[in-house]
Amino acid sequence: MRMSRRTFAAAAVAAVLLPLSACGSGGDGGGSSDASGKVEGDITFQTWNLRANFKPYFEGLVAEFEKKYPGTHVKWIDQPAEGYADKISADAAGGTLPDVVNVSPDLVAPLARAGLALDLDKAAGRYKGEYLEGAWGAHRIPGTSGTYAFPWYLNTGPLFYNKSLFRKAGLDPDAPPKTYDQLIADALRIAERTGGKVATLANVPTIEDFGRYGVPLMNRDGTGFAFNDPKGVELLGKYKQLYDAKALDPQALTATPESSGKKFLTEAVAMNPGSALDLGNFKKQAPNLYRNIGITDQITSTGHVNMYVMGVMVNAQSKRKPAAVAFAHFVTDAAHQMSFAKQVAIFPSTAGSLDDPYFTQQDGTDETRVRVAAAKSLKNAVNYTPVLFSEQMKTALRNEVARALQGKESPQEALDNAVKQCDTLLRQQGQ
Amino acid sequence: MRASSVRVRRQLAGSPWLFAAPGLLVAGLFVLYPFVSTVVNAFTDRRTLVPGEFVGLANFRELLHDDMFWTGLRNSALYVVGVVPALVVLPLLLALLVQKNIPGITFFRSAFYTPVVASIVVVGLIWVWLLDERGLVNAMLETVGVGRVGFLSDQWLLLVSAMTVTVWKGLGYYMIIYLAALANVPRELHEAAAVDGAGAVRRFVTVTVPAVRSTMVLVGALSSVAAFKVFSEVYLMAGPSGGPAGEDTTLVMLVQRTGTGLTGRVGYASALSLVVFVVTVALMLLVLRADRREES
Repeated sequence: MRMSRRTFAAAAVAAVLLPLSACGSGGDGGGSSDASGKVEGDITFQTWNLRANFKPYFEGLVAEFEKKYPGTHVKWIDQPAEGYADKISADAAGGTLPDVVNVSPDLVAPLARAGLALDLDKAAGRYKGEYLEGAWGAHRIPGTSGTYAFPWYLNTGPLFYNKSLFRKAGLDPDAPPKTYDQLIADALRIAERTGGKVATLANVPTIEDFGRYGVPLMNRDGTGFAFNDPKGVELLGKYKQLYDAKALDPQALTATPESSGKKFLTEAVAMNPGSALDLGNFKKQAPNLYRNIGITDQITSTGHVNMYVMGVMVNAQSKRKPAAVAFAHFVTDAAHQMSFAKQVAIFPSTAGSLDDPYFTQQDGTDETRVRVAAAKSLKNAVNYTPVLFSEQMKTALRNEVARALQGKESPQEALDNAVKQCDTLLRQQGQ
Repeated sequence: MRASSVRVRRQLAGSPWLFAAPGLLVAGLFVLYPFVSTVVNAFTDRRTLVPGEFVGLANFRELLHDDMFWTGLRNSALYVVGVVPALVVLPLLLALLVQKNIPGITFFRSAFYTPVVASIVVVGLIWVWLLDERGLVNAMLETVGVGRVGFLSDQWLLLVSAMTVTVWKGLGYYMIIYLAALANVPRELHEAAAVDGAGAVRRFVTVTVPAVRSTMVLVGALSSVAAFKVFSEVYLMAGPSGGPAGEDTTLVMLVQRTGTGLTGRVGYASALSLVVFVVTVALMLLVLRADRREES
């Protein structure tokens, strides 16, 4: 058992350094789309950061399902928002993916390609008519033929602005910008009047912004990106103008939606996109801002606002597929989506639900005003985020946009580079 | 008598392995297996959900042409250059300061150690608030007429800010190591030097530094490995994209960004990890070798 000093030193060095090299590993997928049979057995349902605020709702939902289908037992687990994709990938790779999983379209795409998401066109096509057409289609993946998640709730929101900052810049607080040209003009004016101390926007343009500006994001086949077209270059050029004039916050290059929200709260920026959820936040955390809050529609060149779609997928390898499909449908059916929408500012993806008086009638409050306007805009809203647009692609686009804003590349060069990198990543993902 | 002692010795022969078994099992499962798996993956095009195929040295060839790899390597190397000298010298000075037995010194020892036990996420967020365009530091700079400084929006200032946080957070830890080393420096040496007319600085250079030289090497080795592997400070201050245009990305951030998520490129991230491993070992050996040369 005698160990030389050199061996001991080598072992010690290895023990300190080796953990660094640990990386995850993957697994193979596959499973049939047959979900017929008796609804029974134990299933697991995973949500995305919902337990903290909606525990009673989900416990009631589970109890109701178990009562409707005797012999079933649903184990509800909730994961924090941070690292949700990593948690799913670890479960997927380890063969421990829950039977029913709360997902967004970009999370479904790799799971579907790995054979881990059940094709609902085949397994649950009879429910398709219950949902808005656009919402059902949100979980279709280019290069595959199926639909891989039930649409759950939708979200969209207005553009909030600070009337007080508008007033100080000599702008009419009741006439917020409606077009991109007006937005640029107002932003430049605010920057000029405040000596660059107040910016109007706090975030660099994202893929959704390019979509809303009318830029084609992908080619028709979904095999390559196309946002480096003249319209994309035009939008980036406008942002460059804002950045140079400090009308775009200097920290926008490293901003996250949370940090830009905070900038708006502290009245460091004049405009910020948000949702009805934010109003309560303004009221509680920034009463002065709340007194001066202005609400206007998202600015688009396409006439279609952006919406976010949340879905519920069924694990294709689930041993209890009939129960899993029944539960996923139960969670997302019209009655339950409506009851969930009354708990929190989200919108149902089921056909006809947005015509409910809850989404059409005003009661004089700002919350209802935002809700009614959002529900109206959702009827022809578009989920601009391509389902194949991964986190790595978002980073590639963001970094190239930053280079253009810093003047290290022209907008055209930056977008060409971003498209090139995203296409490479797309190929590496097996598309 | 001899037969029974041989029997006892035979019975005890397996005992060391038995005692070492839990440790070996943990090391095998959580250190050795992931390492071997990473080495294997580095030569494949494995993705998170897709088992890869053998691609030879393709990943290593690709990283030679990957601009972000060179950016990461540059930033990690700069981190070592910026942080290690500060973490070798400043904690020693701090240890000398708090070594003295004067009333209330325990409070300062604890105060200097507090950042070590504080969560890096909390510490990172506090520094982000302090260094924000509208943070306390910029407000003070504006008051004295310097104007706002883009600590969190300028590529280089961001890196220096992150280095400052690393040094600030690590001071207490290395100070404790130095305190232990200083306790072993014979008081007589200082007294003899003082009798010979050496002042405080002279005594520091000729008595203290040689006496704690091996500890300085240890601190240098530990801090250079930690600095090269930096992640949290830069991630928290520069954001997930690695600062403006990703220019503050470090190698470990790149490993995380490339290899995680449902579309993670596990093979390529493993190749990057191996490079980090090799460079870190090289750094460690370099420091140890320099020390040996000094000694001889």
